[in-house]
Amino acid sequence: MANNRSQSNSTALRDGSIFRRVSHLGSARNGLREWRLQRLTAIALIPLGLYFAISILRLATSDQTTAAAWLASPVPALLVILFVLAGLAHALVGLRSVFADYVHKRATLVVTELIARAATILLAGASILAVLKIFLGH
Amino acid sequence: MERPLSPFMFPTWYRFQITSALSILHRLTGIALAVGSILLAWWLVAVAAGGDVFAATHAFLVSPIGLLLLFGWSVAFYYHLCSGIRHLVWDAGYGFEIRSAYRSGYAVLAATVVLTVLTWLYVFLA
Repeated sequence: MANNRSQSNSTALRDGSIFRRVSHLGSARNGLREWRLQRLTAIALIPLGLYFAISILRLATSDQTTAAAWLASPVPALLVILFVLAGLAHALVGLRSVFADYVHKRATLVVTELIARAATILLAGASILAVLKIFLGH
Repeated sequence: MERPLSPFMFPTWYRFQITSALSILHRLTGIALAVGSILLAWWLVAVAAGGDVFAATHAFLVSPIGLLLLFGWSVAFYYHLCSGIRHLVWDAGYGFEIRSAYRSGYAVLAATVVLTVLTWLYVFLA
């Protein structure tokens, strides 16, 4: 009973040895890496998301010059790039888990995942290029 | 035996519970935010492009449809953020008791409403 409790109380997020213990067992081979990526990006997205939300609110009624001036400073430029990267990585892992649950035909699943990956990379590229253009242009 | 597949469980096989509804909402808002990242990328590109592109984007965002999209985006963002923190607490091994699962669920809903209302009060009053 005591052993049971200690087992149910430790998760891979808190206990690194669980990682080592299960990483060679069946589905844990690939799934655990995505599980961990989803959690790590989730944790990063709490401060990054709040920073972005507050910044965008303060810009809400502003013009292009103010928005560009904001992204021309190094800290906002860096944090927005990190927000976009963490957000899109998190989105891709999440979308793939939805596809895995609801897309039952193998061929459809492969095509759907390809489209999602391509879209994610395109969006990340466009966003980062945009921020870099503003940042380097000043 | 014909087993019911997951997407068709909810209306016919499950009694409504706030916990499962919130779980589904977490996924739905996650999908919405993934689609919403198109809007984010578009806005960043518009700021970089400036001129007419930014003017057109800005005009779209302050139109009724644009505001509705932004409102939906903010609800999805705050819900997914609060609900995500709840999930992280579960991942760390806390809060699994039925009572605390219900409590944290209602707390997430309340926090979402408060944050969304504060956000839009700021937009329209400041």
